[in-house]
Amino acid sequence: MERFFHSELETMKSHLMLMGEKAYEAVECSIQALADRDIDLAEKVIASDDEIDALEIEIDHEATRYLTLRSPVASDLRLITVAIKASHDLERVGDEAHNIAKRARNLILKSKGEYDLLQIREMAEKAKAMLRMSMDCFVNEESEKAQEVLASDAEVDRLNKDNFKGFIKLVKNEPEDTKRYMDLIFISKSLERIADHATNLAEEIIFLTTAAESRHSGL
Amino acid sequence: MNSRTSNKQSDRPKGETLVWLSSAGLALGVLMVVFLLGLIIWEGLNVFWPKAVVEVTLKEDSHYKMGELPNLAGVVVKRQKNTRTGLEEWQMLTGNKDAYGAMFKYITREHVISQSFPEDVIVAERMEYGNSIFFPVSLQLRNGSKLTAEDSEFLTRFEQAIKEVRNRYHEIHKLEKNTIGKINREVNALTIKQRLFEREQAEGKTLHEKDLKEVQERLAVLQAEFDVLAAEAKRLRAMQNDEVVEYRLSSGQVRSQPTGDFVGFHLPNQMGLLDKIGFFIRHIWAFLSERPREANTEGGIFPAIFGTFVMTVLMSAAVMPFGVVAAIYLQEYARQGAFVRGVRIAINNLAGVPSIVYGVFGLGFFVYMVGGTIDQLFFSDRLPTATFGTGGILWASLTLAIMTVPVVIVATEEALTAVPRGAREASLACGASKWQTIQRIVLPASAPGILTGLILAMARGAGEVAPLMIVGVVKLAPSLPIDGVFPYFHLERKFMHLGFHIYDLGFQSPDSEAARPMVFATTFLLILLVVVLNLGAILIRNHLRKKYATSTF
Amino acid sequence: MDTAAPPTERPRPIVGENSSDQKFIEIKDFSFYYGEAQALHDLRFDIPEQEVTAFIGPSGCGKSTLLRSINRMNDLIDGIRHDGDIKVNGTSVFDPLTEVISLRKRIGMVFQKSNPFPKSIYENVIYGLRVSGRNKKSELDQIVTESLQGAALWDEVKDRLHESALSLSGGQMQRLCIARAIANQPEVILMDEPCSALDPIATGKIEELIHELKKEFTIVIVTHNMQQAARVSDNTAFFYLGKLIEYSTTETIFFNPADPQTEAYITGRFG
Repeated sequence: MERFFHSELETMKSHLMLMGEKAYEAVECSIQALADRDIDLAEKVIASDDEIDALEIEIDHEATRYLTLRSPVASDLRLITVAIKASHDLERVGDEAHNIAKRARNLILKSKGEYDLLQIREMAEKAKAMLRMSMDCFVNEESEKAQEVLASDAEVDRLNKDNFKGFIKLVKNEPEDTKRYMDLIFISKSLERIADHATNLAEEIIFLTTAAESRHSGL
Repeated sequence: MNSRTSNKQSDRPKGETLVWLSSAGLALGVLMVVFLLGLIIWEGLNVFWPKAVVEVTLKEDSHYKMGELPNLAGVVVKRQKNTRTGLEEWQMLTGNKDAYGAMFKYITREHVISQSFPEDVIVAERMEYGNSIFFPVSLQLRNGSKLTAEDSEFLTRFEQAIKEVRNRYHEIHKLEKNTIGKINREVNALTIKQRLFEREQAEGKTLHEKDLKEVQERLAVLQAEFDVLAAEAKRLRAMQNDEVVEYRLSSGQVRSQPTGDFVGFHLPNQMGLLDKIGFFIRHIWAFLSERPREANTEGGIFPAIFGTFVMTVLMSAAVMPFGVVAAIYLQEYARQGAFVRGVRIAINNLAGVPSIVYGVFGLGFFVYMVGGTIDQLFFSDRLPTATFGTGGILWASLTLAIMTVPVVIVATEEALTAVPRGAREASLACGASKWQTIQRIVLPASAPGILTGLILAMARGAGEVAPLMIVGVVKLAPSLPIDGVFPYFHLERKFMHLGFHIYDLGFQSPDSEAARPMVFATTFLLILLVVVLNLGAILIRNHLRKKYATSTF
Repeated sequence: MDTAAPPTERPRPIVGENSSDQKFIEIKDFSFYYGEAQALHDLRFDIPEQEVTAFIGPSGCGKSTLLRSINRMNDLIDGIRHDGDIKVNGTSVFDPLTEVISLRKRIGMVFQKSNPFPKSIYENVIYGLRVSGRNKKSELDQIVTESLQGAALWDEVKDRLHESALSLSGGQMQRLCIARAIANQPEVILMDEPCSALDPIATGKIEELIHELKKEFTIVIVTHNMQQAARVSDNTAFFYLGKLIEYSTTETIFFNPADPQTEAYITGRFG
């Protein structure tokens, strides 16, 4: 029997998914803006961050309200705690996308010449895939797939490290473009952070579905 | 406006008229109870209120003349229209049954020329022949002198004479009843013993020469004592007739009667309100405390009150444990099934058996079977005079107990069922056994309900007459079931009963018209007794209810 | 909700997995019948000593029947029958040698509706002793004091021990019933929805008391209030249709129940 207040959980879930979609879109657009040197797209991503922040506040509010009034237990309770944490993670993803977009705008405006993005595109694809997969796992309540997300994180970390080394080398070669490469290093770092948040999301989904702890190697 | 009117119509709920019907039912019931009680109380108390005596002067040639004079004194009891002649008719209580042959006289209003309320008319209560209404003439004293009615001392002296007579009467009664009675009982016992000895001797079993002689000697002593006392009683009785009052009836006859025949007198036409109230209270008390006279139509009804009370108490004492124990087994221990249901239906049906059937059962079972056996076993020396083998208060009480036991069983069962399961479970969960639970928790909690059953049983038992007539009630019992004679409780004795008294007065009395007021007074008293017994039980019940009030069970 | 759909196959029996390995009350393949109707199906689990074990489940799931089987309160009902066994502290409650009277002294019970006797507070507490014939004044006095202190009622009633127990408030009455149960010094206290008729403050006091009492007694509580089960119990058993669906530590039951029916029940999606 579905009780009237259980729809509140569904609403919260859909808000979370909406937030995920928005964060995903922000990441996608920011990288696109960087790649295509699309200043409008970058501006759009910068503006969209407020929507994501507003959704986080909304989800937090819904979660605390449900805790206060509905005394959730078991999976309901886990969903609430996951929602609070996941919305925070997604908000951070949004923030990182926002940072990427700002740096992309910077690059578009200030660096006229051609420059190498190294493996940023690949990283972005990976991070986006992790994010997408986490969200799919959330929708389908699948913990097995979420395990794959955890595995991908190391790959992104490695790519970030490679990028870092590559950009340092480029800075040495072209010291007058240091600023540009600093921006690119930070973009790479942001993508690495986005992958981390996606990993967190995956861990939270594993907790939601199995109540098992997978964070910090299951301490 | 339109909508408001239509609203108003629907404001009257459907079916409310049934409330009127049900309240009308109640009103009818209340009305009947009030009417019946009012009638009984009014008529019952009216008996004791002194009424003015009217002296009527009749037409010279009236056939209502009772003597030489055309006068008639009496209390007008009723004025009514004769249905046949259509003339107004007075029913007068003229008293003087010995002179007129009846207590009442019906005269036609047409024959009355005049009426007056003579101051000096006396209404005197007598031991026999009911009241006398007369004008005093003279009083012949023991010392030979004679007081005439005109003498100022006459009334005080007459009153004193009656008081003396009454005291002497009590003395005689005491002498005959107690002292002589005691001797008689001993003589009876000795005679029985003597008979026994003689029988055994005749059969050649043992020789009791010495014992027999002792008995005979003792009998002789007792005979001598008896003779002395009997002589004394005889002397006292003779003294009752020493002083003679002479009086004139309204109709002219002059009669004389010894003061010993009188119980008391009053001058109704001289009495003020206070006198009347005093008279009223005195007579109510006499009614309650004295023994009946004159085939129960005069005097008090104390033996009947006492008999009813003792019988009801005995019945309660018998029916309570019996009914309660039976109900406990039925409700708590018996395995609920078709058999128990059958028993329960049978018990309920018992309540519908005519009471006379119980009387017959009581006669057959208690009186003849149980009583007869007791007589065989313990009182064989008194046979063929039955001791327990005849109706008595014990058998009457037990018969009524059998009759009312269904009421108690049903009420007790209801009360036991009403004890909440929680109370029983709490007790059992504390490690109490089933019997401990019943004893300590269930019975106290159901006591109010059980007492309600007892109240109902008492009300039914106290008012029952038919079965009693054949198991021990008599119209006049020589002695009370409880008195100062060993063994104090005489359960085998026959007794008087208010219900039977009413029947006896109303339908068996030689002068039922004269007994009519007594019927009302006795009925009133019977109702009062039932109310008092019920009130007592209700008070106990309320006390218990407060004590064992169960709030949150 | 798909999780609430009744399973077609019989749920797997869950062997008792409580917070410790003790087996103070052992329920062994226990089945119970009211006439032809089977109320309990082959229950098998153990209840540990000095812990609070809660029975939850929808009405008619058999949790009260099981509770009442432990002290054989069901004996009062005609036409009952059982299979299997219940052992308390090693002895079977159905052992013909076990007298039901002494069994009930070993296993106290507190009921849904507080049911003090219409007697004084003092007499209520010592009722169990009175019926077993213990009447020594000094002993009784001491037990009354200890029991009332144990039931956290002493301070409230010490000046009116001889007043009627019915003058107490609902919560006080229920604590008096607990005092009455512990006066017999039982090994186990069974509680059948002890707070269902009480206000939240009185409920809170009883819950505190249960928490204190488990230091000395093994407590089994039937409750419809899942928050209460979560607050006071160490282990929780979920029953449905006379079957034990899940038995585990209370934390597990309320955080991550293994069975979808348990989950549906405790999250309110049942039925």
